[in-house]
Amino acid sequence: MASTLPYRPSNETLSTNPKTNGLPRLSPAPSFVGRSPSGSHSSTRRISADNVAGHKPRRCKSQYPVDSPERHVEYILVASFHIDRGPIMEHQYPAAISGDESMLAELMLPDQTHVRSQDWTIFFLHKDTSGDDEEETEAGKTKKKRKSKYRGNEEGADIQNEDPDEGSDGESSDDEEEGGEGPPLMYVLNLVNTKQDNTVRRGAVVKAMAICTRHSFLHIYKPLLLLALEDYFKSPYPETLASLYDAVNNMDLSLMPKMSILERHILQSSNTKEMFIEKFEQIIRQREEEESEDGEYSPKKISRYLLPRDTHEFESKVVYHDIPIPVKIPTVIWPETVGDFSLVKLIQTFSGPHATSPQPFPSHPHLTTSGPFTHPIIVLVNAILTQKRVVFLGHNRPSGEVAEAVLAACALASGGILRGFTRHAFPYTDLTKVDDLLKVPGFIAGVTNPTFDNHPEWWDVLCDLPTGRMKISSHVESAPVTEGLLFFQQQNALSPNHTSNVNSDPTGDNLFMQDILRSIANRYGENAIRAKWRAYITKFTRVAAAFEETVYGASNLYIIGPGEELSPDSPTGQQADAADPSSLRGHGYVWPDEIAKQRELSASVSRIEGWRNTRSYYSYIQDIAAMYFPARPIQRPDLHHHHDRLRTLKLSHADSAAIYMALSHAVKDYAGICQLLTVAPENQAGLFYLSMGLFHPDQVVREATVDLLDRIASHPAGRHFWTHLSRFAKLGYFRVKRDRDAAQSPISGPASPTMTNLGTSFGGEPQSLVGVALGASMSRRS
Amino acid sequence: MGGQVSKMMGRIFGTKEMRILMLGLDAAGKTTILYKLKLSNQDVTTIPTVGFNVESVTYKNVKFNVWDVGGQDKIRPLWRHYYSGTQGLIFVVDSSDTARLEEARSELHKIINDREMKDALLLVFANKQDVPGHLSPEEVTQQLQLTKLKDKLWYVAPSVATDGTGIFEGLAWLSNNVKTQPQK
Repeated sequence: MASTLPYRPSNETLSTNPKTNGLPRLSPAPSFVGRSPSGSHSSTRRISADNVAGHKPRRCKSQYPVDSPERHVEYILVASFHIDRGPIMEHQYPAAISGDESMLAELMLPDQTHVRSQDWTIFFLHKDTSGDDEEETEAGKTKKKRKSKYRGNEEGADIQNEDPDEGSDGESSDDEEEGGEGPPLMYVLNLVNTKQDNTVRRGAVVKAMAICTRHSFLHIYKPLLLLALEDYFKSPYPETLASLYDAVNNMDLSLMPKMSILERHILQSSNTKEMFIEKFEQIIRQREEEESEDGEYSPKKISRYLLPRDTHEFESKVVYHDIPIPVKIPTVIWPETVGDFSLVKLIQTFSGPHATSPQPFPSHPHLTTSGPFTHPIIVLVNAILTQKRVVFLGHNRPSGEVAEAVLAACALASGGILRGFTRHAFPYTDLTKVDDLLKVPGFIAGVTNPTFDNHPEWWDVLCDLPTGRMKISSHVESAPVTEGLLFFQQQNALSPNHTSNVNSDPTGDNLFMQDILRSIANRYGENAIRAKWRAYITKFTRVAAAFEETVYGASNLYIIGPGEELSPDSPTGQQADAADPSSLRGHGYVWPDEIAKQRELSASVSRIEGWRNTRSYYSYIQDIAAMYFPARPIQRPDLHHHHDRLRTLKLSHADSAAIYMALSHAVKDYAGICQLLTVAPENQAGLFYLSMGLFHPDQVVREATVDLLDRIASHPAGRHFWTHLSRFAKLGYFRVKRDRDAAQSPISGPASPTMTNLGTSFGGEPQSLVGVALGASMSRRS
Repeated sequence: MGGQVSKMMGRIFGTKEMRILMLGLDAAGKTTILYKLKLSNQDVTTIPTVGFNVESVTYKNVKFNVWDVGGQDKIRPLWRHYYSGTQGLIFVVDSSDTARLEEARSELHKIINDREMKDALLLVFANKQDVPGHLSPEEVTQQLQLTKLKDKLWYVAPSVATDGTGIFEGLAWLSNNVKTQPQK
């Protein structure tokens, strides 16, 4: 039903003057226009300008347009181990990649290659898109540049000048991803083969071939490298590189639709395989129209475009030497997600030994946030968040394995939210680079050489993959005493009863890890685990924002909406403007009570203070500013905050009514609904808490909730959420709707007879159901 | 913690651990010696070492953790990263490669003059004694200018790595002399 709806339409002409645009907001479907109280308050907020374009779907853009000057793969390299000279570069195609050739060759021939016939590695190059001279292989000189960026940012969360429309349709997605941290990294996937050969001196040939790409899904090229390296052993000429280069660059990804940040967010946290299928339909339709205009293709060829079986990935193929090789490209690519690692594997590696025989860590305030027996994975995340030097060591393991662990660790600490980890990650490195490595303040590196174990001065946390043990170095820098720390020490001194709760997992990390391990044991799968980590990092940033507000009186990590004040002056749940329900105040993370808040904040002091001043902290502030409009089309009320209140608090009827009214008034257009859906992901009960508004004692609230749910149900993504809503809630929905229809026109039949039948057949005792619903919602709150 | 326990056990039962670093020019026979130590009765065929090998070998109550590091001149600067904590250096020389003995001497002196290696024992394997035209251990000693060394415990053992001749004699010298070393 929603396939004809516009997809995040936005009109460039309106973006210049969004605030004064008095046009009514777009209602998602014509049938609801009459009911939505549109226009009355829209002028108080930024208008997303959906309306004008509303009748004509905006062109769906491709993530990888056909005419893009960017190539999928920029370079192909071949290196070999020369028995007299060590690693050397043999060929580079289409041109020589600038920089230190011999260092590249060393990276391509990982330690102990001679003991295995095949090995994969991944490493990153910091290479400019344009300037070919300035190439640094391990994050070195860009630091100066980055520092100046930090400064620029601290001054201003001033986003007024930003074109609010930009980015909301994904056009500025490059900025979103890189946020001015310099050019995107060049990712290198490398395959090395060792072939025993008695006809050559010293009995073996070692050769490596690498693909250099700006795409973070570089793992799709693995089968191609296998074929091409094999060919290269037979014909070691540049032509072999050229044919691979041409094959991969002819891969067609142009039918992969571009998504906005909110859409990506929804798609990734959803398991629904048809989520946003409309976009794929549209982009195919566009292509077919173009082709019929051109008259190049006969109609029968139209069928060659297939819809994806799962919208989370896009299927294409690479034809190499007439062999079609299928590849799957993820539709949503989060920052800091590179390659095909497994969080589950990483967590299991370090959880097993910890579960069977836990070893105490030496205490460090940044790292051991739950005492000496802090879960190693939490220690790891803390170390990365507070910018420590983390080394993964896999002696006698393929270097591909340590690389995978490094990439997983980056994703773990990032949650797709924080950035700056992969930029300082060295998925595989060796002794030749150690001097450069040590110049980087805070890194994540993968090595196979056990000599790193003998050099605790090189790392702060060492993660040994074969044993699954983690070590905190004796050389780790101690945590400085900070303002926040003193603040909470004073607080605790004033109210000593807080300290009595120390044993009960004040950070909540133990509970969280138990949940993660249980989910893994119950085979929830990689996606679910990533979603949970995403939620964990989201929570961390929100707690940090609350912390800054408490200690420093303001936070860099949150931009408060219009009409909103900082915490003490802006009591949650009150309306700034009595006539406007959407002016409901309150923001940030929600705790059940003040004591819980104080306890959690004081337990998190060191980690948060350790995070402040790190690269990821500064780029997060930058992102907050850049994302303000794209990710928050609704700036007031704070949807996340108020949805959390519904979820976690026991609210009075008046309070909950205010929230339902505010949401129903504020959430109107496509982007707004997207934003609401991101705070109510499927794995956190989806629309359940919103649907409880259907059972509110006040009829106005019930009807406002119906309107809201109507809008959600006709939204391309919202309809899936609606489908997942429990039958009980739907029952309530139909009952409210029926009552209203009956009141409005006693004779008129309901819009959908079948729905009514469903409603009546189950809705015998509506009043008692309300009681059950309220009871259920109460019991969930704890 | 585990390491401390085993160290203590070592003191009680008389087994010692010794970190050995094995260096030398490329193709001198380091990896062959390592795997001849590890797998004494088997034939060993090796290919050039990319990076390093490390194995532990227990001989005469001494557990030797032997590090064998690739010898191509380009990767020799990495040797220094292996120095710290090393109690014994095995330097392997191809006795038949007379043209490169001077290069070997220069590399050896660079290593043992490093501060971190000043307490390490030095065992030189005059390897490839089966190849025609090889130098004798005495000639190797002279070429390497070992007699110049002051305050250094050193020994030159003739060896044929491919059949294992002389390898364990060299190791015996190390295990006999490590006792005189201060316990670390």
